[in-house]
Amino acid sequence: MSTKALRNLIAAVALLLTVTACGGGTGASGDKGGVLRIGTSNGIDSLNPFVGINQDDFAVWLHIYPSLLQYDTTKPGMPYKGSLAESWKFAPDHKTLTFALRKGATWSDGAALDANSAAWSLGIMHKFKDGAAAKWGINENIDTITATDPQTLVITFTKPTATTLYALGNTPILPKQVWEKAASGDGKGLKTFVNEPKGDQPMVSGGPFMLTKFVKDDLAMFKPNPNWYGAKPRIDGWGLQTFKNKDALVTALKANEIDAVGGVPVTALSALKSAGITIDEGEGLAMRDLIINSNPDKPKHRELLKADVRKAMEMAIDRKAIVETAWLGKATEGSTIIAPATASDGQKWHNDAIKPLPFDTTQANALLDQAGYAKGPDGVRVADGHKMSYEVIFADDESGEGDRAFQIIQSGFKEVGIALSQKKVDSSAAWDAVYCDDNCQYRDFDLAMWDWFPSADPDFMLAAMTCASWGDWNDTGYCSKEFDALQAQQKDSIDPAARKKIIDQMQQMVYDARPYIILTYDTRLDAWSPKWDGFIPSSQGFFNNFSTQTLEQVHVK
Amino acid sequence: MSTPTSGGASWLARVLWRSTSGRMGVILLGIFVVLAVFSPILRPYGLDERVGGVYDPPSLAHPLGLDDGGIDMLSLLMEGGRMSLTVGFAAALVAMVIGGGIGIAAGYFGGWVDTVLMRITDYFLVIPSLPLAIVIAAVWGPSLSHLIVVIALLLWTSTARLIRAEVRSVRERVYVARARALGAGHGRIILRHVLPQIGPLLVANTVLSVASAIFDESALAFLGLGDPTAITWGKIIELAFLRTAVTAGAWWAVVPAGLCVAMVIVACFWIGQAVEDALNPRLAVAHLSPRTFAVRTITGRVSPSDKGAS
Amino acid sequence: MLKRLVFAVATVFVATTLNFFLFRVLPGDAIRNLARVPHASPQLQAELRKQFGLDKSPWEQYLLYLRQLLHGNLGISFADQKPVIDNVMQALVNTLPMVLVGTVLAIVIGIATGVIAAWWRGSWKGSVGTSTAIFFYAVPTQWLALVLLIAFAGVLPSHGMSDPYLLDDSWTAHTLDVGRHMLLPSLTLALTLYGEYALITRSAMLETLGEDYVLTARAKGLRPRVIVRRHALRNAMLPVTTLIALSLGYLVAGAILIETVFSWPGIGFAAYQAVIQRDYPMLQGTFLVLTVSVIFFNLLADLLYAWLDPRISE
Repeated sequence: MSTKALRNLIAAVALLLTVTACGGGTGASGDKGGVLRIGTSNGIDSLNPFVGINQDDFAVWLHIYPSLLQYDTTKPGMPYKGSLAESWKFAPDHKTLTFALRKGATWSDGAALDANSAAWSLGIMHKFKDGAAAKWGINENIDTITATDPQTLVITFTKPTATTLYALGNTPILPKQVWEKAASGDGKGLKTFVNEPKGDQPMVSGGPFMLTKFVKDDLAMFKPNPNWYGAKPRIDGWGLQTFKNKDALVTALKANEIDAVGGVPVTALSALKSAGITIDEGEGLAMRDLIINSNPDKPKHRELLKADVRKAMEMAIDRKAIVETAWLGKATEGSTIIAPATASDGQKWHNDAIKPLPFDTTQANALLDQAGYAKGPDGVRVADGHKMSYEVIFADDESGEGDRAFQIIQSGFKEVGIALSQKKVDSSAAWDAVYCDDNCQYRDFDLAMWDWFPSADPDFMLAAMTCASWGDWNDTGYCSKEFDALQAQQKDSIDPAARKKIIDQMQQMVYDARPYIILTYDTRLDAWSPKWDGFIPSSQGFFNNFSTQTLEQVHVK
Repeated sequence: MSTPTSGGASWLARVLWRSTSGRMGVILLGIFVVLAVFSPILRPYGLDERVGGVYDPPSLAHPLGLDDGGIDMLSLLMEGGRMSLTVGFAAALVAMVIGGGIGIAAGYFGGWVDTVLMRITDYFLVIPSLPLAIVIAAVWGPSLSHLIVVIALLLWTSTARLIRAEVRSVRERVYVARARALGAGHGRIILRHVLPQIGPLLVANTVLSVASAIFDESALAFLGLGDPTAITWGKIIELAFLRTAVTAGAWWAVVPAGLCVAMVIVACFWIGQAVEDALNPRLAVAHLSPRTFAVRTITGRVSPSDKGAS
Repeated sequence: MLKRLVFAVATVFVATTLNFFLFRVLPGDAIRNLARVPHASPQLQAELRKQFGLDKSPWEQYLLYLRQLLHGNLGISFADQKPVIDNVMQALVNTLPMVLVGTVLAIVIGIATGVIAAWWRGSWKGSVGTSTAIFFYAVPTQWLALVLLIAFAGVLPSHGMSDPYLLDDSWTAHTLDVGRHMLLPSLTLALTLYGEYALITRSAMLETLGEDYVLTARAKGLRPRVIVRRHALRNAMLPVTTLIALSLGYLVAGAILIETVFSWPGIGFAAYQAVIQRDYPMLQGTFLVLTVSVIFFNLLADLLYAWLDPRISE
């Protein structure tokens, strides 16, 4: 290559670079309404309600599909408020629930949105409750779902259930005209149906917004649904962008490439504050836990099944240090499996009477000494002929803060003579390590570190502790007949006060048995640009599957 | 490519000391090795000792600042050096054994042994190395020993091809034929005649492999596949990435670790160059003959051009 | 020539087969991920297994896979239920421009640096050139990407391939937008690569510069620039070109690190995600593409070398 040609090539490349570098940036809004740009590190894994399990999926579904009710996140205790249903009424025997639906609602394509639509959609979820629709739980002793007329939906039950409204309330109602074919026959098509905009056409919607564009793991774009029956949004549209890396997420917020983030990493807080970003803190529902294998038939390391050993372990955990070092103060010390922020229908569910054991290595050492597990020459105790040295299955979702927490737990345990090692695996492998499979259930692991992101009603978390949940959501191997009996009782208690009493009892039971040592409850951290206003926080942040109020009300200042 | 008739450790030492780059490389690498070996004693602070706030900037007490757990970065870097160099040298050694072994077998025995071994080598050459490493690390689980083997698997192919070429040319030497005629067994010939000839080249290649190994370790750690309990330079960079060091403006959590990796790789490179220079006196004006120049890819894998291997 | 082609195809086939069985060894049941309900009922799991052919023996699955492959069907991704071929092609289309720009930049800077370093060998100009080349060659790719991120945060986009909120829909605006997003990733790639090219060029140049005909040219009084351009550079290009072609094959996979830091939706990143998600079809698809690209570029390098240097024959 001649020098002249080389020189020209260099010049051309340099020119190209300069031109693109000087390309203008994008503005936050073009029209008066503005486009809200939300960033998330979670993301949408699937828009198919029978497939997706991410938190963001549920939030998106609430914004594109109608539901009978929503939660009112502007009021404490999150009472229900009507959405498609204007009012609802239980029969005195609590075995019939009647919803009165609003008149004149339509889908975005003009088709009627009424009791028949609701009956069809909920009916499908009920029909396939053991198959494709299992995770929607439309099986709360439901007997029939009928539309007696276009404005009246009647649901009958085989017996009264406390969690009816929770199960039915904000469940998305899917458009029959789109899903009919997939739902036919044995419903196998439900799981493979691609629920995405085709070409330029937005999807048929019944919620406040229509999904106009979707790129998996990247972007979802929405614009207002002209046929939305509720409060008209003030924005012209919004987008949800997935950032695989939290640093990129926060940098984008700082650089005004996005306007709001739900779930800010704690290490970025001071940098964001000094950049003038508004930070909103509140109680969150998420909790981080240490799992102790509670399968009574586990073959190895059976000393871990002893109550005193578990007590000693809890006393060897410095929760305060975890809150301060791993979470930079943005967490609260854990106690029971129902987080303090758990509240629905005006009722708080956390058992305030349960206080976590304080960090006390002297007491812990005493307990373990009393149990007869003497310390060996290397400082590690010996139990039943083997060292008290255990592997902790560490789900990599916990990386970052969890690593720090693990280090703190590890050094605390060292002081009481227990050695821990960390085995980091992804969630799929973590489940395998914990459960093993149907032939060796909960046999192989000792300890694990994971998390929970439960919902507003405690039923989900409690159900995960039952014997029936083995192989399902149960990740501890805990199984107690007494607990199961209380669970059945709790589900039947339609009086919230009576129900709370039972649930308090259940929390105490689980706390004493310690299949979990709840380390911390997350403090929910949201951040948004000072140019915007109208964000309504909740225990799940401003972008949640409780209500669409934020996106209806948010606006440029 | 010609090989000298002399070899051995003393020759190596002379070569390294005589050339400027060799000397610099040895000194630089030496500094890191000493710091690594004595790091448990030399470390100013403990590895889980919280001595300040999150991402505290550098100060007199902590010249490289603190990380996201309030731990002294300098201490972490020293420990990182210890672990990274351990992994690097171990992986390079394993790669040397595997690659050298396969190369010798293929070059010496020729025929179908050669064909089979070279096809296997080709498979490993052609498969995307980093994705393969990811798959293996995911299968096996991230632990230090597994990591060493995985990295070695990325490295051995270059050694194999290089050694095979060398052995083939050595095999044709007169004295080898004489030894065979005298009834010497394969093993004896390999040990007495072949190994001393290819020795220096093997060493040079291994030193370059150390550089690649450390580079690969940092890549794998970055993707979350390193040993979660071992603090390596790669892990330090990964943790900074995970714990939003960039947004926090904590450049001290990112920059020094990368510079350390770079310096060790440069040191190894200089050493490797000095040996190659000495092995190729005809090319005293050039450094590396294009025929045996190691092509290094994004992932740091060293693999020679096909052309030179015959 | 034909022999080389046949060999290349055979290697692809062997690699594909080995990959297919390698992935089956991964722990973590693919079905659980597929069901997207980690704790799906046994009936549901059985149903899905049947639907995706995972209830057949590995050999049956393999034969089915081969048959589909011949029809250009790479299967359906477990993660998003879309055809693998679509996902892979999209990812490839995203990676190639970024890698191409970076490579061109690296070649240009690399050759220039190499020539300067060779000519000024011994003086400080040559040493500086060589030293910086070695330095950039030695730094970890992801580290360099992070450093550039820190340096340019706020000035250049740090994430993704384009701005989804771009108001101007025109082709020019879109290209400029992608260009802006491409700057940092391509620059990182260029900086990591150029060192190697610089060093190759330098040695090749040095070897040529020591040749008799060059010495003759110098004795004849020809100016340095003429000598470089007319003689040395042209002859040095032979090994340089083939080595560059060889390295290209690995670039696509090696871009994983850059794509991860910048969240660039390319093929390297797709491969990484496929492993994490136990998405077998995507894994097979991405590996196939990456392997084929390596073999293709190796073949290209072979042919290039044979063409450029008639002295070499098989």
